Amino acid sequence: MSFFGQGKKRGFGASDDDMGIITRLSHAVSDSPITNATKRAANDAAYVTKKLLNSTGKAAWFAGTTFLILVVPLIIEMDREQQLNELELQQQNLLGSPPAK
Amino acid sequence: MAGLVPPGTTTIPADASKAAHTKAEEKTDYMNLPCPIPFEELHREALMSLKPETFEGLRFDFTKGLNQKFSLSHSVFMGPTELPSQSAETIKIPTAHYEFGANFIDPNLMLIGRMLTDGRLNARVKWDLTDNLSVKANAQLTNEPHMSHGMVNFDYKGKDYRSQLQIGNGSLFGASYIQSVTPHLSLAGEIFWTGQHLKSGIGYAARYETDKMVAAGQVASTGMVALSYVQKVSEKVSLASDFMYNYMIGDVTASVGYDYILRQCRLRGKIDSNGCTAAYLEERLNMGLNFILSAEIDHKKKDYKFGFGLTVG
Repeated sequence: MSFFGQGKKRGFGASDDDMGIITRLSHAVSDSPITNATKRAANDAAYVTKKLLNSTGKAAWFAGTTFLILVVPLIIEMDREQQLNELELQQQNLLGSPPAK
Repeated sequence: MAGLVPPGTTTIPADASKAAHTKAEEKTDYMNLPCPIPFEELHREALMSLKPETFEGLRFDFTKGLNQKFSLSHSVFMGPTELPSQSAETIKIPTAHYEFGANFIDPNLMLIGRMLTDGRLNARVKWDLTDNLSVKANAQLTNEPHMSHGMVNFDYKGKDYRSQLQIGNGSLFGASYIQSVTPHLSLAGEIFWTGQHLKSGIGYAARYETDKMVAAGQVASTGMVALSYVQKVSEKVSLASDFMYNYMIGDVTASVGYDYILRQCRLRGKIDSNGCTAAYLEERLNMGLNFILSAEIDHKKKDYKFGFGLTVG
């Protein structure tokens, strides 16, 4: 027990000889090169994902506002023009087809 | 334009007469070329689509005709105006003014005057002395010293050429000449000299125009190269693109735009390589009543300008 206490009081960076079995095992897992490499890879992946999301967000904002300004009025106006054309066609058919008496 | 078909070809067989007809169309009459458009309107079709007059704020214009030739106009504008600043920050100051104007329009003489409540006066005169010679003058007078300027243009229109002499205050002199070379192609040159900044320059331009498209290019010794192309896709739609390059500064801008002229409205939109998009909509609500919406988004400078207005008469 005092053996474990001693290992824990020393804290990090204690050499293997002074630590208890459990701390030695946990340090073996957490200080190994594999976990370090995994941690670095995870950090890089998070960084890249954040940058990608950021630039996708910016591109989406740019595309969205440009679409709103350039394309939406065009669609609305073309729709109105089409409605006007249909109305005129209908009126033409209505007035044009009955023969003059 | 097309040369005359030689007489005595009425009895030749069908395909040969068609060949003779197309050959006659191709043989252009170089003595009867059309008169070219004025030099300052070289990029006219492209500028109509690509540089709509966007504004920010409220705009209201009322034009009342008193006579067949004389009309008065009242105009109100309220909105932020941009101050030219050296830094990247855009500084806007809210301004509001009322503008009173009078127009006199005659076949030979046009007089336009505008007076604003912030003390500025704009005046324009266009006087056709004869069929070929016309004089144009415009002046802008302000309260602030050294900010007033005026300019006089003398235009001479020949059979297939136009020449112009320009004199402005601050000893600005300019001359331009444009000549039709074929029925579709016209070439132009200009020179200018400023006394104030002691700059002089020479420029050349060319414009090729058919029924469906207009291509124009301009080079100047100030380092500016401007090319524009407008394609008339149908009678309601035209698409324009523009490329401007300054070889002294190395500044490049390309822009693409469209112009839809429908029965009830006119919609113009453009997008730029500087990340700037603009749209301008004029909608006819009623006879003589037009509703205007203008939008300009500059993504790089994060400057957003939206305006709306009404034009009566």
